[in-house]
Amino acid sequence: MSTGSSTTQVATLARREILRFIRRPYNTFLPPIVTNTLYFSVFGIILGSRIGSVAGVSYIQFVLPGLVVLGAISDAFENASFSVFHGRWEDYIDEVTTAPMTHRGMVGAYVFASAVRGLLTAVLIVGVGLVFTAAPVTHPFHLVGFLVVTVVLFAGLGVVGGLAATDFDNLTVMNQFILRPLVFFGAVFYSLDVLPPLWRNISLLNPMVYMVDGVRYGMIGVTEIDPNISLAVLTGAALAVLAINLVLFRRGFGLTK
Amino acid sequence: MSTPAIEVRDLRKSYDDVIALDDLNLHIPAGSFFGLLGPNGAGKTTFIETLVGLVRADAGSAAVFGHDVETEYRAARDAVGLAPQEFNVDRFFPIHEVLAHKAGYHGYGREKARERATQALEQVGLLQKRDQRFSALSGGMKRRVVLARALVTDPDLLILDEPTAGVDVQLRRELWDTVTALNESGTTILLTTHYIEEAERLCDEVAIMNRGRVVETATPEALMRRGTDRITVTLRDPPATAPAVEAGGDRVRSVKMDDDRLVVVATEGGLVAPDLVRELDRRGFEFVDLDVSRTSLEEVFVELTDSGNGDLGDDADTATDSGRREPRTAETPATDGGR
Repeated sequence: MSTGSSTTQVATLARREILRFIRRPYNTFLPPIVTNTLYFSVFGIILGSRIGSVAGVSYIQFVLPGLVVLGAISDAFENASFSVFHGRWEDYIDEVTTAPMTHRGMVGAYVFASAVRGLLTAVLIVGVGLVFTAAPVTHPFHLVGFLVVTVVLFAGLGVVGGLAATDFDNLTVMNQFILRPLVFFGAVFYSLDVLPPLWRNISLLNPMVYMVDGVRYGMIGVTEIDPNISLAVLTGAALAVLAINLVLFRRGFGLTK
Repeated sequence: MSTPAIEVRDLRKSYDDVIALDDLNLHIPAGSFFGLLGPNGAGKTTFIETLVGLVRADAGSAAVFGHDVETEYRAARDAVGLAPQEFNVDRFFPIHEVLAHKAGYHGYGREKARERATQALEQVGLLQKRDQRFSALSGGMKRRVVLARALVTDPDLLILDEPTAGVDVQLRRELWDTVTALNESGTTILLTTHYIEEAERLCDEVAIMNRGRVVETATPEALMRRGTDRITVTLRDPPATAPAVEAGGDRVRSVKMDDDRLVVVATEGGLVAPDLVRELDRRGFEFVDLDVSRTSLEEVFVELTDSGNGDLGDDADTATDSGRREPRTAETPATDGGR
């Protein structure tokens, strides 16, 4: 019988989760590099040269923050949902759930590891972007704040998805029919100003808009929404999702019979 | 009186219309080697999974070393090492890391967790495979990894759910030796098994479960005493009808002739046989052969659960086609020396 601490338990799970993706660089790091090289080539160079400037910056600089958010949230969500669901599918999540770990610790470790993956992806995309254009950081605290809150929010949503899924197809459905539409209508590739008033207002219901706008503010200083309000709303949303994660773990949703 | 390893009161669990645990009550003393027998669907695995939080009971209570499995789940789970029947091992990492992670989940620091993982792999004879992944191992090795993972946290209560299912005889005996040594060093063992021989050989006490309830709890010897043994005496000049037999008194249940053999069915046949031989000799019967088929725990089990052959005898070396193990004879010792 052990006498160890809760911190050790949570650190072990977080470490396991991070090692899982770190040791698979071809799965973890190569896809965002390739995908974003294509995005920058097509949207930045080929189309961007015809579009000119948007919101006072070159089009490639305008889309860079959006692509950072897109990559970060996709990887944070997919990592959490895959890890939790695969553990359930193969039953090895029992190694965690039968351990004397707090539910808060379990949620914390899964979300932390997936958020780390999202942030690493964000850094990679900025690195790829630097090959094509400058990547300024106008408001560093907002940039870090928005990125952290965003990846935590989507890591938390990924945990919900991983607990709710009953099949691998469910994960694909979540990605294709929920995440991608939000992303593509989230002002990644266009400015809200180009939309008619009705569609602009509808777009404001999309949480992605606030994330992209906030990171854009942090990088190039351009914003269409008050960044502090966006950050507060997104922080609230992230805390709400974490609370849902905790309730689900406590109730054993998807974990106990 | 020390705190029991497991104390269960009126535990109840249903899955839709199926009652898996039906007001289950069980008391397992600390330090014991306790066997849980029962046909498939008796509720054994549901019960075990309730103890570690994989199943939530609808009603009742369960405690491990005095810690309620719901309200004090951390203390309860910290005391338990579970080797489940199904393989549920993390396949992303080499087995040494898998074990170190499990130790870490129980609070062992990184270095200590690695030491524990090494010790556990040594204990099950798999240290040379430490860098292999679970999926690369043979079935027997996988079974040993599952045991090592249960041991890596140094549990006070080791739960083995069908630990020798599908393993060869040699490995089975090695596993028996390992868990027997653990029990002798103070670890409480809860064993579920289809192999009745395992329960007879290893357990201090067994509970027989059926339809979510414990139908009997006793030592294997006490249970076997409830069954009937069969004494067969082959006579040189057999009489046409069975002679009246006085030997054995109330222990004798029936006496009949079967060709040239006198068949006496009695409880505790080992005690009846010498008196029977003396009586037959005194009465001038000349006998050619004597055979005592002792009752087995399996036969008592089948009687108590009324389960027929549906759940026993998965393994050819312990079962006949009918699902009942061949009865042992006086020439066949009950075990290879016991625990």
